[in-house]
Amino acid sequence: MSLDSPISYQAYIGQQYIQHLISCERSKMGSRPSLLLRDEELAEIQKETGFSANQIERLYSRFTALDKSSTGALSREDFLRIPELAINPLGERIVNAFFRHSDEDRVNFRQFVRVLAHFRPVKKHKENRYNSREGKLQFAFKLYDLDDDDRISRDELMAVLQMMVGENI
Amino acid sequence: MLPPIILDAGYFMPNRLFFNNLGTILLFAVVGTLWNTFSIGLSLWGLGQAGLFNLSFQLPLLQSLLFSALISAVDPVAVLAVFEEIHVNEVLYIVVFGESLLNDAVTVVLYHMFEEYAKMGADQVEVTEIFKGIASFPVVALGGTLIGIIWGFLTGFITRFTNHVRVIEPIFIFVMAYLAYLCAETFHMSGILAITFCGITMKNYVEANISHKSHTTVKYAMKMLSSSSETIIFMFLGVSTIHDKHNWNWSFVIATVVFCTVYRIIGTIVLSALANKFRLHKLGRVDQFVMSYGGLRGAVAFALVLLIKLDSVDCQDDMRRMFVTTTIAVIYFTVFVQGITIKPLVQWLKVKRAHKRKPTMNERIHERLFDHTMAVVESLMGQVGHYHLRDKFKQFDNTYIRPCLIRDLKGAEPKILETFSKLTMRDAMDMMNRNPTGQSGKLHPDSVAAMLRSNMNGQGGSSGNLEQLDQSTWNIDLQELEYNLSRKDLSDAKIHHLLAEELYKPYRRQHRRLSYSRHAVHEKDLTTEQPVNYKTQMNFKRMVSEKALKSGKTRRTGAPNTSKNDGGHGSSSNGYVAYGEEYDNPVFTMSDERLQGKSSESHDGDGGIYFIAGGGSRVSPARRMTLRDDDDTGSPTKMERELPWKREDLEEASIRQNEFPAWSANKEYLAYNSPTNTYLGGLDRNQPRMPTVIGLFKRDSISSTPGSRRGSIQSIHYHNNRLESPRHSIGSDGSGGPSGVADTDNVILSSHNTPQMMSRRGSTFVALPIPEVAEETEKDLLEAEKKDGGHGRSAIKAVASTAEANKIEEVENSDDENGNPTDIPAPQQDNNNPAVENWSSSDNKSNQTHTKL
Repeated sequence: MSLDSPISYQAYIGQQYIQHLISCERSKMGSRPSLLLRDEELAEIQKETGFSANQIERLYSRFTALDKSSTGALSREDFLRIPELAINPLGERIVNAFFRHSDEDRVNFRQFVRVLAHFRPVKKHKENRYNSREGKLQFAFKLYDLDDDDRISRDELMAVLQMMVGENI
Repeated sequence: MLPPIILDAGYFMPNRLFFNNLGTILLFAVVGTLWNTFSIGLSLWGLGQAGLFNLSFQLPLLQSLLFSALISAVDPVAVLAVFEEIHVNEVLYIVVFGESLLNDAVTVVLYHMFEEYAKMGADQVEVTEIFKGIASFPVVALGGTLIGIIWGFLTGFITRFTNHVRVIEPIFIFVMAYLAYLCAETFHMSGILAITFCGITMKNYVEANISHKSHTTVKYAMKMLSSSSETIIFMFLGVSTIHDKHNWNWSFVIATVVFCTVYRIIGTIVLSALANKFRLHKLGRVDQFVMSYGGLRGAVAFALVLLIKLDSVDCQDDMRRMFVTTTIAVIYFTVFVQGITIKPLVQWLKVKRAHKRKPTMNERIHERLFDHTMAVVESLMGQVGHYHLRDKFKQFDNTYIRPCLIRDLKGAEPKILETFSKLTMRDAMDMMNRNPTGQSGKLHPDSVAAMLRSNMNGQGGSSGNLEQLDQSTWNIDLQELEYNLSRKDLSDAKIHHLLAEELYKPYRRQHRRLSYSRHAVHEKDLTTEQPVNYKTQMNFKRMVSEKALKSGKTRRTGAPNTSKNDGGHGSSSNGYVAYGEEYDNPVFTMSDERLQGKSSESHDGDGGIYFIAGGGSRVSPARRMTLRDDDDTGSPTKMERELPWKREDLEEASIRQNEFPAWSANKEYLAYNSPTNTYLGGLDRNQPRMPTVIGLFKRDSISSTPGSRRGSIQSIHYHNNRLESPRHSIGSDGSGGPSGVADTDNVILSSHNTPQMMSRRGSTFVALPIPEVAEETEKDLLEAEKKDGGHGRSAIKAVASTAEANKIEEVENSDDENGNPTDIPAPQQDNNNPAVENWSSSDNKSNQTHTKL
């Protein structure tokens, strides 16, 4: 891997991590969770995002765990119910990343997995549009670009800086 | 002799890398060492049993295990020495190096264990003994670590109180670390681990507490001590080579060397495969090769082998000598052969090298951002992962530990602030360097007039400085100035303010160096005692000066117009030239009635010359002035409206000024430099530096810029023709002197008018240089920000668009433009360019700083 640009290196390193966590969890898990996904859907998701079947199951069980109201979709409150997310300065931005592509205020499983697919590690020749380097950088860019104008303005950068420096005060 | 080396290693250990790779490191250190020990020991014993060694004695199992325990330990000294040379990438370095540090615990345990068994005799070793031995390992390792950490915290705590005894701070660090080592050794724990972790923990807290000088001292002393210790150790090795009686057994030596190498390679491969399952950054073949090849034995092994006593270990003299000889031989082999060849091998194999540079501000911020992001994603997944742990630890650290151990807790992001202060320091240095007349080094004379005269004298030879000392751009109009703050300026101010506020103290620490050259070594320079709170100082001074004013003692120059002072401003600003006691304490005194033209008198008690600008809303953010709004009106003062940090709710467009200041029609009036420029242009350079008039002059050259032009359009109400009121220009580069000129100097100044200046005189601006500015800006930014990619670009766009916006606006506002074109031929271009460049580079600095952000 070429690690020239520092930010993409960070992005790469950081975002690979999740994959490793997923696989760790998978190995920890004993039995399969009850699967409410149909197989075709599973296959579709697999093809689209590149996750393996086990990983998708794992994600699904997590999704249902988060979905307290059992509606099959997550709302912002569900996300913010996670304590670490709520206190993290970036938590909100990331939650927004989930909601960016959905019209109403709910995220269904497909969208959930799509966003998380950004974090998969890049394997050679098996990149798809989510976890490619480009895709990761896009995701990272969107974290900064709050008003979605495809530019990072000074104010946005300032907000980030403020968050980083001021957060623990 | 070992502690200094280990302390050096621990203290300068890159924390992040170490803890990220801790799993791998531990794996290699513990499992790897165990594997090596047993495999080598058993093989040697096996060969001994098979009689291949031609030994005159029997090689019992325990002794060979003992020997292999000490010989399999990778030595931190040797590894450090070699790897420093070859500069491999950080991950590789940290894995090998970490392994060498941490395997000390294992080695020590094994060594003592086998020694005990050997003492007891091979027959009496029972299972319980073995278990005791195995159990002692965690105790030794964790005990050593814990002792080290405790001493590290103690050191941090002690340094919290050392602000009165700065000189001996380094001593504390060394002594405490050594005590940690001794303490651990006394309890038969791993001293090396203790001192390593002591160094690691200590660093985080001590760095924040000790003075800059102490920090430098510690750094150099540590390096020095560790280098000398290392040299001594190897010298000792060499001497004893010659000195001892040796028992050279070819086959034994060769067998040992072969086994060491082979088993290490095998061990590395197996363990890497295991580690790679859990690692993000996989260890490739080349990495593995370097790791196995870099497993040098050294002084630790030597020290241990010398400790084998004849009687206690039931080891005959021959055997002992053989061990010593072999150890020395192995050490020589690994150090010389492997150590020497590793460098060309590394180059040949194209191992990734380290990029030795400090992370830019951009990188730091993004790094932190991604830490948080990953922590979030982890929590989303319900995992307790790495980032999560790190985050939790940081939070805990910040809430509980840091407040106890650190004297003045500033912000929670010391690294970002550190980078910021470095950036600003660099900017400041650049500014200084750009002023080759060396005026900046001079002490400020007492009066502006003298300053000017000296300036002019110095000016002859340095035409390059013409624009910097462009006196025609001084603003003689001392009336209040409402500068029209551009949005960019506002956000600049905000950013600067945010960072500088965080950075309050370390900021000054870094800049002490500058202050040294400015004035005599002051007691204050020797301490990091921060003259602290500007606000309170300001308030105090204000109160004092008010009192003084009320009694009519203070000097007031110029009667400013008060029409701009809507019901009383917060305060007017005083700039003062040169400074004696404190870095910058302009006293802000207030209110209109005082400004109504009291006669000027002597100084204020502060020892500076105060120039009161009429009604200034020229408050330097650097001074952090608290503007008082004890005016009777309830509405927000103009000051409040304009000051960035007071402006939170009034974020909209900057306040528009009247289009043509009254004096603009006055052609006699020299172009002045808008406060925007002086005050905001160098926001990021705002330092507790000594303000000098010279600084002003430098700044004032930038009037050809959009920002300044904009300022020049402002309505300056020049009601009072008294040119004696020097205008206060907020020290953009930290200097707070007036940029105004006494009227007597007007005459002198006019002699310096160049066409460029002519055109600027009283004029609002010239449209021409703007494109240059934009270009310059863009170019400079581009150069400087190659690394920033998209962020830099967008910032550039932001700047360029602001510049364009400025241009357009100013074009509309120009009334002199037509009169000027002929004056703006090539000469102006030339003149302007450096000036422009000055500004743009100074602005670039601010842009760069912010972009780097």
